[in-house]
Amino acid sequence: MTISVAPGPDTREGVRTGTAESTDSLTAPDIPWNLVIWNDPVNLMSYVSYVFQSYFGYSETKANKLMMEVHKKGRSIVAAGSKEQVERHAVAMHGFGLWATVEKASGGHGGKTGKSGGPGQGKGKRG
Amino acid sequence: MAKAFKYGLKGITGFLEPAERDLLRSLIDDVISMLQPEERDGQDPLAALIGLDMDVAEPTDRAVKRLLPNISKNDDAASLEFRQLTERSLRETKIGALRAAALDLDKDEIVLTPEGAKHWSMALNDVRLVLAERLDIRDEADAEHVHRMQDWSQAEDVESYLALVYNFTTWLQESVVQAMLQSLETRR
Repeated sequence: MTISVAPGPDTREGVRTGTAESTDSLTAPDIPWNLVIWNDPVNLMSYVSYVFQSYFGYSETKANKLMMEVHKKGRSIVAAGSKEQVERHAVAMHGFGLWATVEKASGGHGGKTGKSGGPGQGKGKRG
Repeated sequence: MAKAFKYGLKGITGFLEPAERDLLRSLIDDVISMLQPEERDGQDPLAALIGLDMDVAEPTDRAVKRLLPNISKNDDAASLEFRQLTERSLRETKIGALRAAALDLDKDEIVLTPEGAKHWSMALNDVRLVLAERLDIRDEADAEHVHRMQDWSQAEDVESYLALVYNFTTWLQESVVQAMLQSLETRR
């Protein structure tokens, strides 16, 4: 649907809240952490997709794909980055009422969906 | 009867009967009271002001715990430490959205700004999470069971009444979210 524009959402986040970002990169460079969203029987599929689109700026296609992964597999890695970045995302997800946790990326699995290469990144506006 | 929210020239608009608005207001008030941080003696006022709460514990009420989940699946110590730094402000974020939604309940005809619609969807989501805990919705089958309860004339006990209220808030949230998705689509 849209052309992939790496780097992904973390850069967008950095633009939005620039002050926190600069110190993060000094203290925690390149340590990959994942933001995991867990399935639950309450949250609406449409709402989860809306949150992925509006908060991360993901395309509708990408947001729906991640939402379906949460729904069918029970969990999905929806973003990756430094510990501080994914923790900030997790708090935002908790604000929306999504069930989010953070975990250290394990070798081979890390950043499967949060890094470059996903379809339709960089499209869409926040807020 | 309530009319579903829709996206149009005026923004996101919906219509609710006075009884429906009263119901939503009391649901929202309940969730706000669950989220209100306890004031404890000897609490450091400066720490509280900047959102720190070193005496915080993992919530014992399942519904509150679902609203304020642990940050780590397996590391309770890390979760608690993170909670000390962030839980208070998360409570305030949620209460802010709930209060904003309650303020929109003054008129039958509801007109929402994009920010207002976001607050509505967040508030309705938190209300539904709490109702779902009270209804013991643990998996998709439980949710399906509750969803089948649609007839108000069947509401004979607290559980069936709660199920109907849950289904009403689900329907309302779905309509707000569909309207918001449409407005996202248009802005692209």
